[in-house]
Amino acid sequence: MNPFSYIVVNVVEILLRVVPLPCRAGLVKIGNPERHSPVFLTCNYHLTVERVKRALKGVDCYLLVANSRGINVWCAAADGHFTNHDVISVLKTSGIEELVDHRNVIMPQLAATGVEAKIIHKKSGWKTIWGPVYAKDIPLFIQNNLKKTPEIREVEFPLTQRIELAASWAFPISIFLALIIIPFWPEAIFPIILMIWGLSFLIFMSFPLYSRWLSSEGKRIGLIFFDFGRGGFQLILWCLLIIGIIAYSHLFVEFSWGFIFRWGFISFIVVLVLSLDLMGSTPVYHSGLHEDRLLKVILDEKKCRGAGFCEQVCPRNCYGVDSNRHMAAMPKTERCVQCGACIVQCPFNALYFKNPKGEIILPDTIRKFKLNLLGKRLREK
Amino acid sequence: MSTYILMKILESAPSRYDRGIRILTLGRLDKVYDRLTSHIKSGERVLDIGCGTGALSLRAAQKGAKVKGIDVNSQMLEITQKRAMEANLTQNMELCEMGVAELGSDESESYDAVMSGLCFSELTEDELAYSLKELRRILKPGGLLLIADEVRPKRILKKMVNWLIRFPLVIITYLITQTTTKAVKELPKKIEESGFLIESVTLNRMGNFIELVTKRPEK
Ligand SMILES: C[S@@+](CC[C@H](N)C(=O)[O-])C[C@H]1O[C@@H](n2cnc3c(N)ncnc32)[C@H](O)[C@@H]1O
Repeated sequence: MNPFSYIVVNVVEILLRVVPLPCRAGLVKIGNPERHSPVFLTCNYHLTVERVKRALKGVDCYLLVANSRGINVWCAAADGHFTNHDVISVLKTSGIEELVDHRNVIMPQLAATGVEAKIIHKKSGWKTIWGPVYAKDIPLFIQNNLKKTPEIREVEFPLTQRIELAASWAFPISIFLALIIIPFWPEAIFPIILMIWGLSFLIFMSFPLYSRWLSSEGKRIGLIFFDFGRGGFQLILWCLLIIGIIAYSHLFVEFSWGFIFRWGFISFIVVLVLSLDLMGSTPVYHSGLHEDRLLKVILDEKKCRGAGFCEQVCPRNCYGVDSNRHMAAMPKTERCVQCGACIVQCPFNALYFKNPKGEIILPDTIRKFKLNLLGKRLREK
Repeated sequence: MSTYILMKILESAPSRYDRGIRILTLGRLDKVYDRLTSHIKSGERVLDIGCGTGALSLRAAQKGAKVKGIDVNSQMLEITQKRAMEANLTQNMELCEMGVAELGSDESESYDAVMSGLCFSELTEDELAYSLKELRRILKPGGLLLIADEVRPKRILKKMVNWLIRFPLVIITYLITQTTTKAVKELPKKIEESGFLIESVTLNRMGNFIELVTKRPEK
C-alpha cells in the first residue's frame, strides 16, 4: 500500500473504529520468505492487518490472518470472537504447514486473554511465541532474536492513541446527534459538532492529568452504563460548561433561560455519552463498571515452577521471574487491570482470581468466560 | 430467508438460539431439515458439521444413525448434550468441541453421510476449501454430503431485493454482536470441483437459500 492510501485508510478506519471491518482471512506472503522464515499471526481487523504489514516491511516472513470477525485483537480475544479454534484453523487450512519447516508462530501478546498456547500446541503441534503488544515494535523484537524487553510488553496510552480514541468516539456521536437534530434545529448542527469534538479531545488529551484519580479501588460515581471515575471529572467539566454558557449568554447574547437550558441540556448529553465506560475504553484500566476490578490475582507458590508465561503476557508488567528459584512473583500488583491473561496462560494453573468476599475463581472458568463481558463468570463459580 | 443474518445474534446467546431461529424461519427450517435427514438410514455413521444446538444431529440420531456432532462453541454443545439426554439419544450421539480444521484426525472413508446446516456460510474461504477436501476423504465411496445454507442469489434483481432486506439486518446484527455472516458464493460449483456429484439442488424463491444433496462417487 502506498503511503497516501495508507494514511487515508488510517483516517477513515479510525473514525469508524467502533464498527468491525473484516478483511480476508488466510496467508499473506511478505518479501521472499523461505522454509525457515518466521511466521506471524494477527486478526482480520483490516486496520490491524495494514499496520502489521507496514511494520513487517523489509522482513521476509509469512503473516497469518485469523478470523476474528473483523474485530481488533484485544477486544476479540477478550469477548470470545478470537479463540483457539480460529488460530488452529488458520494454521491448518492456510497451507502454511507445507511452506515452512518449523512450527513456531509469533502471536500478538494481547491475544493472551482468549488464545491458549497450551491447547494450540496440543491440537496443532505449533508452539506459540508471544510477540510484542504493538505491531510497531515487531522490528525491534526481531532484532532482539524474538525476545521481548519490558517496554514492548507493556500497554501504553500515548498521545497518538488518545487522539485516535477521541476521534473514534467523537465521529459516531456527531453523526448520531446530527441525524437527530437536523429536523428540529438545523442551525445548531455546526456548534454542536464542534462541541462534541472539543469535549472528546479535552477528555482524552487531558487523561494524564486526572488519571491518577481513576484508580481501581474505592467507591466510584457510576450510573448503569456510565462511569464518571472517582473524581467525577466529567461532572465537574459539565458544571464549568454551564457556567461558561451562562457567562456567554450574559455577555454576548440577550440573556434567556431557553438558551441556557438548551445548551446546558445538550452539553450534558455529550458529557454523558463521553462518559460511557471511559476507563474500559482505555487500555490501561479495567472497565469501571465491573465487579471484576475488585478481583485480585493470587499466586499459588506450591504450583508455580517459574515457567514465566505470566511475565511474557502481562500487559502491565506486574510480574518478575526469579530464574534461580524457578518462581514467579508479582511485585507490582497495584498495576493489575484484571485482564486474566496470566491466569489463562499458566501451564500449571498456579494463578487464580480471588474476589473481595474471599471466593476463588478457578482458571478454567476464566478460560471459558474470558473477560467476562456479560458477568457470567461470577455467577458460575 | 435473509433473516438468517439474525442467527448471529442468537448464536451469541446459545440459550436463546432455538426459540429465536424457530420464530425467524417460521418453522420452515424444520421442514428443510426433515427433508435433508430423510436421506439418512438406521445404523449409518453420520457427521454433523457445526451442529450448534443439534437440530440435524438429533433428527439423525432419532432415525437410529450413529451421529458425531462437531462445533467450536462449547455452550451450544452443552445444550445439544442436554437435549440428547432428554430424548434418550445419548447412546447414538457423540459430541466434540472441534472445528472443521481438525477434521484431519478423522479416519478415511469412515462416514456414510455428512450433513451441515447453516455452517458453511460461517467458514473462511480457506476453511471451506479444506473442509470439502477432508469431507471427500472421510466419506465412504457413494456416501452423501447434505447441505442447507444461505447463498448469494444469482439474478441481479433478486440480488438487489436481497440486499435491501439484508441491509437493515446487517446493521442490527453489527450493533448487537459486532459480527456479520457472509453467504457462500457459488457453493454448488465449489462442491463439484472438490469431486462430489450433485444429486439435487433446491433453491428457495428468493434464490438465497439452498438445499443440496451431493455424493462422493462410487469407486
Ligand atoms: C448458525 S449455527 C447452525 C447450527 C445448527 N446446525 C442449526 O441449524 O441449528 C452455525 C454453527 O456453526 C458453528 N461453527 C462456526 N464455525 C465453525 C467451524 N470452523 N467448525 C465447526 N463449527 C463451526 C458455530 O459455532 C454454530 O454453532
